[in-house]
Amino acid sequence: MATTKVPEVRDITRIERIGAHSHIRGLGLDDALEPRQVSQGLVGQLASRRAAGVILEMIKDGHIAGRAVLIAGQPGTGKTAIAMGIAQSLGPDTPFTAMAGSEIFSLEMSKTESLSQAFRKAIGVRIKEETEIIEGEVVEIQIDRPATGTGAKVGKLTLKTTEMETIYDLGNKMIDSLSKEKVQAGDVITIDKATGKISKLGRSFTRARDYDAMGAQTQFVQCPEGELQKRKEVVHTVSLHEIDVINSRTQGFLALFSGDTGEIKAEVREQINAKVCEWREEGKAEIIPGVLFIDEVHMLDMECFSFLNRALESDLSPVLIMATNRGITRIRGTNYQSPHGIPIDLLDRLLIIATSPYTEKETKQILKIRCEEEDVELSDEAHTVLTRIGMETSLRYAIQLISTAGLVCRKRKGTEVQVEDIKRVYSLFLDEARSSQYMKEYQDSFLFNETQAPTMDTS
Amino acid sequence: MAVQNWTDILKSSKKTALISDGKRKIHYLFTDGKEMSEEYDLKTDELIVRKWRHKSTLGDQSPWQVEVGEPLAGPDTSLDSEVIKENCSNPVLMRKDTKNSFQWRIRNLPFPKDVFSVSAEPSDRCIVVKTSNKKYYKKFNIPDLDRNELPLDNSALNFSHANNTLIISYKKPKEILTLEQELLKELKKLKGTDEGDVDCKTQ
Repeated sequence: MATTKVPEVRDITRIERIGAHSHIRGLGLDDALEPRQVSQGLVGQLASRRAAGVILEMIKDGHIAGRAVLIAGQPGTGKTAIAMGIAQSLGPDTPFTAMAGSEIFSLEMSKTESLSQAFRKAIGVRIKEETEIIEGEVVEIQIDRPATGTGAKVGKLTLKTTEMETIYDLGNKMIDSLSKEKVQAGDVITIDKATGKISKLGRSFTRARDYDAMGAQTQFVQCPEGELQKRKEVVHTVSLHEIDVINSRTQGFLALFSGDTGEIKAEVREQINAKVCEWREEGKAEIIPGVLFIDEVHMLDMECFSFLNRALESDLSPVLIMATNRGITRIRGTNYQSPHGIPIDLLDRLLIIATSPYTEKETKQILKIRCEEEDVELSDEAHTVLTRIGMETSLRYAIQLISTAGLVCRKRKGTEVQVEDIKRVYSLFLDEARSSQYMKEYQDSFLFNETQAPTMDTS
Repeated sequence: MAVQNWTDILKSSKKTALISDGKRKIHYLFTDGKEMSEEYDLKTDELIVRKWRHKSTLGDQSPWQVEVGEPLAGPDTSLDSEVIKENCSNPVLMRKDTKNSFQWRIRNLPFPKDVFSVSAEPSDRCIVVKTSNKKYYKKFNIPDLDRNELPLDNSALNFSHANNTLIISYKKPKEILTLEQELLKELKKLKGTDEGDVDCKTQ
């Protein structure tokens, strides 16, 4: 058993599901905040993207708290896309919390409680904490997969320093991340004992002979000294909400029985605010105001809006981005009409970014990007036809047709989606306008048509 | 004086006593939020367990850290198996004091005695165990001496090896012995209920 058994590493490349906005990688601005026509998955909407870029700079500076932005525009004009773009360009260090306006209505929690939780999730605190890490050179990794193919894998990892050697038992999660990181004998690694996070420091000098097996950027490092387990100070970001949860948990053995936290007491929050401010003054912690994005903000009601008014004035408040597709409509919970369904006093505090409908050329571009994202080949004629459909019905409908047409095309063993495929799915699936038309024609034969309700009230 | 200091801290802590299973169990809550729990044998007055718990910066409760006695092996260790843990064949260090000396036992060390070297390093305030075959290395401090700010002395240290176990002893200095006796006297005065639930005022 002297030979090192290198596990057969199947590449776990990211298999992400394709969502409506998964093609967006950023706002697509240059250094001078000028928007490029097509960049990072975003097309057109130059003015609103530029405006979003200014907001982005403001957020990155981190000095201004409690600003609110409203992205308003017709359905399918890229409001959520712009918000996603902001989230992507902020990077993983700034907290970005996205929620929909309807998420706050729950029987278990009051509306304002879930709003304050969302607010506090969007504020990060960078703080130093001591954690236990394991640092050493890998001597051997041994992973046994059960012969039947199902069941838990068993793994052993032998690590050494210049002074000692220890064998560790590996859990399933650890085995996966070791093979993902492609750790092999001779690597010097650190493992965070609590979270199981692995980082590769480089290869040990003693293995410096095997030149052939490594890339150009492989670093050689000394084998660590002393004990394998060390206590180390690490900086990490937690959200205020996480600190709330930790501190509001029932202490003692009662903690075993209480699962979720539910509502968090105002006193706990106040204590934590005071403590965080104290840490900041002592230089122990740094506050990172993030972004809270509320989609479909017209779904909030009057109480929520007045709560927002108040919450935005707190100095521990993130930048609030809201999006709505409503025009002048009733404010939920009242009988008053107001632009975007938002009370005037709150509107007054907002910076409003408007999005406008896409032009034909832009629609064509977006459809092209989506085709690439969904891995569907489109012939030129089909692309033109689809663009026309997109202009006449809606962009969303046209995007829906991409994957369906792609499927139809694959069924007839074609490689490229032709006009025929588009025609076929166009006849199979109704768009909104045709569906309404159909309803008008055949309304009488549907069930419950005699209860003539007025038009749907969506506000 | 430093010795005074630790006794002061001990005195100012809230103590709760409980007698069960032939053990005197004492729970201390210190003013800085730290908790200490000790268990003494009723007959011999020997310290069986001493463990610590404190709150992390974020306010989270840390698990008990054992200073003296058997390491905790509760059901929660299986929960962590998702990540990583030491193999059971690895050496295990535990402390078990006798009346006159601090004593550590390192089990699962199947090497001959001449492989080991044990030394005290007064500059680092710790004891270092080394193996010449580079299989085991351990640095540990003596918290009792640290708390009372007493110096480390190489001559008080000796070790033996038998049954795959390395036993290291360090003779308790005079200050510690008197302190422990005083503490024990104090603890015996504490009223402890015999059985069942007690109102633990420290929780």
